[in-house]
Amino acid sequence: MHIKKNKLILFIILISITDFSFAEKAPFESTYEALPPTNTIFRNANVYDGEGNEFSEIDLLIKDGKIIAMGSDLPGSSEFIEVDATGKWITPGIIDIHSHMGVYSAPSVTTSSDGNESTSPVTADVWAEHSIWVQDPQFALALKGGVTAFHVLPGSANLIGGRGVTAKNLQRNTINSMKFPDAPHSLKMACGENPKRVYGNRSQAPSTRMGNIAGYRKSWIRAEAYLSRLDEYEAKSDDAKELGYKPQRDLELDTLAGVLRGEILIQNHCYRAEEMAMMIDIAKEFNYKITTFHHAVEAYKIADLLADNNICAAMWADWWGFKHEAYDMVQANVAIVDQARNGTGCAIVHSDDEIGIQHLNQEASKALSAGLKAGFNISKARAMKWITSNPAKASGIYDQTGSLKVGKNADVVLWSKNPFSVYALAEKVYIDGALAFDRNSGLEPSSDFDIGILNPNKNRIQE
Amino acid sequence: MKCKTILFAMVILLNINFIESQSVVIKNATIYDGISDEPFVGNILFEDGIIKKVSSTLVQGDISIDATGKIVTPGFIAADTEIGIVEIGALSTTRDDGSDIYKIGFSIHDAFNPNSTLVPWNRANGITSAITLPRNTSSPIGGLGSYFVLDGSLNITSNRDMVMIGRLGASNSSSRSETLSVMDDILSFASSITGKDIKSNSDLNALIENSAVASYMELMPRDLKALYSLMNENLPLIIKANRASDILKLIELKKKYKLNLIIMGAQESALVSESLAKNNIPLIVNPINNIPNSFDELASNINLSSRLEKSGIKLMFNTSRAHNYHLIRQGAGIAVANGMTYGGAIRSITSNVAESFNIKGRGVIKQGNIADLVIWEADPLEPSSMPEKVYINGVDVDLTTRSSRLRDRYTKNLEKPNTYRN
Repeated sequence: MHIKKNKLILFIILISITDFSFAEKAPFESTYEALPPTNTIFRNANVYDGEGNEFSEIDLLIKDGKIIAMGSDLPGSSEFIEVDATGKWITPGIIDIHSHMGVYSAPSVTTSSDGNESTSPVTADVWAEHSIWVQDPQFALALKGGVTAFHVLPGSANLIGGRGVTAKNLQRNTINSMKFPDAPHSLKMACGENPKRVYGNRSQAPSTRMGNIAGYRKSWIRAEAYLSRLDEYEAKSDDAKELGYKPQRDLELDTLAGVLRGEILIQNHCYRAEEMAMMIDIAKEFNYKITTFHHAVEAYKIADLLADNNICAAMWADWWGFKHEAYDMVQANVAIVDQARNGTGCAIVHSDDEIGIQHLNQEASKALSAGLKAGFNISKARAMKWITSNPAKASGIYDQTGSLKVGKNADVVLWSKNPFSVYALAEKVYIDGALAFDRNSGLEPSSDFDIGILNPNKNRIQE
Repeated sequence: MKCKTILFAMVILLNINFIESQSVVIKNATIYDGISDEPFVGNILFEDGIIKKVSSTLVQGDISIDATGKIVTPGFIAADTEIGIVEIGALSTTRDDGSDIYKIGFSIHDAFNPNSTLVPWNRANGITSAITLPRNTSSPIGGLGSYFVLDGSLNITSNRDMVMIGRLGASNSSSRSETLSVMDDILSFASSITGKDIKSNSDLNALIENSAVASYMELMPRDLKALYSLMNENLPLIIKANRASDILKLIELKKKYKLNLIIMGAQESALVSESLAKNNIPLIVNPINNIPNSFDELASNINLSSRLEKSGIKLMFNTSRAHNYHLIRQGAGIAVANGMTYGGAIRSITSNVAESFNIKGRGVIKQGNIADLVIWEADPLEPSSMPEKVYINGVDVDLTTRSSRLRDRYTKNLEKPNTYRN
């Protein structure tokens, strides 16, 4: 216990030193600015707060981009727009932790196929954000499904595919102006069939699952060496630094070292139980943390192991069979992960799909229903965490969003009905307290792609 | 000894008779019969696999199932699947959907595997029969689909080669205009094939030799027989197309060759809905897909089903085509959420499929029809609700799936190692 604490302190010092050493301004920083706030008081709403609580007939106040108060009969003022939410539901903005919007844009054409740098099995140097086409018409469709933030990952062709980025679902002309402020990068890793197929077909490593494992470990060995070279240099006195050479930066190893320093979160595509278990071993061998296993079709087989290691699983409700490693699907997967070790498991419902991202509430509903049938006692309020606070935690933005806690960003969805019903539609979606979509007034964004493309005088889906 | 054997045989005989002659009544159900806009509360009596009576007054049966407060629908009919001819999507050795030799007369019928895990899976989701289609061949018209009842019996109940498929639209190489010319040439050639020709392979070979398009495409007698069926037996022809202008061209082809045309995909069909309605062309659309996934699908919109319904077009639904066909119910629910009528959504996965593909005796709950019935625990268009009971040919089918077995293995009797659990 004591030793661990010491380690932690050392760790923090290292971070501050290395941060200092790269004092040159970090490129590609977020320049996000919220829309002007729509200060609003929602009256008489039913609420799932994203923390596992449900409230009936309650008022919610949002002001200057933040959640200010939730309670009964909150005092109004002329400053606020009053929205009658009687019979309707409010949830936090939905967060998808696995999206390829922008890197696999619509239309799905070769010129916009930018999600897999499948030219080498380890491409930790590439960043998904550098592929994102900000005019992808899919962002606005996801917004109408209540999605206020999403994490874009590189594809799964590579063992180590590159950095992922979290974005606000507010379409802008540059990716920097969509990037979620202070959200950590992730690193996409992939187990199983995809890397071994892509490279095996070229008679190149990896062509087997054991080749996959060797590939990860070789990379981390290089990363450890790089990190110790950097640390050695940073530990030198200023004079010694001037005399010696600064280790040359390496983009690939920068990313891997960022993981070892705990600054970059591992998002690991992995279907099979035994492969997830091996990835946990590798993480222990090299002293890094896996944040989330993605797809995780077999997570239910090792749900306790995931809970013990504080690792989330991001899953579909019921997709299966499209490949061999997706054959053992059970619909209660999400619930089993959630309920592991007395309910300490971390379950996330993700989409990995431009259609699924529009209906994550329904996916959570299916997963919940399957959990109840399997005999678990799970509330709708708890299931709402699967698409709000849990993905927020696993993408490192929970301090800012993912639940309706006072002081957090006012990322809010007003639903026409209970969001666990297929008939519920997102009526109003707020990002940072600003109305971004309003079904009734017709306020909705359309990308530049949508403009005048079918009819010069209309937007793409305008009737 | 002899006497004993006879007695034993008689007992078996009696037993069989007893099972066969049992009538079942589903009582007090909220019935969506697959045709009507509105449900009605009533009783359904069936025996020997046939619906004997649908009535609002009480009827008696040997077995009585109380369905008070429960919705009963016809078993859903999947209009566009690869159920039974694929086990694992990305594993080519488990796929039987493609052909190297036959470009038009390729049939998937004999590849159908009733033991596929997809059969119980879909059945447990309320899909009791399915049209299974091949992958497109190299010909713009070609490939034959069949209809299968998903009872899982090795003694397969099917309609063989009951639909032909084709496609029109964007391609990497040639112009869609060429595709249309090839279609026109094939159909023109098909019109020249007579009933006498198809009785003799040598006559068919002669026809092929004398046709530029047939020789160029290296057609076989089997292909010509399929073309003869298409032109003379009112075989439904599903063409996958999306762009509005392509759909109009297909309507011209339908008129020219009197085709029994069904258009699938049809993402831009709302732009030409009047012409489609006027020419009575049914459509198969994916009610969930609102992605402008190609430059042929720019008009993709979540309200497509609702708009087409208002235009009076007969609709069917498709979705992810194999393992995930259960999403069809969610799709139908989404169509309703976006303006389609509930009755219309149910028709799109029941009677509209039966009518468009000439499937006799299924898709509607009515006297004389086959008892493919589903009793739902709640609203069938809520994807969170599942069937409580599924009857196929009047038989109460088991709803266990490999997936439910795996679930039980990892949630029950956990004290044993997993391989020693159920």
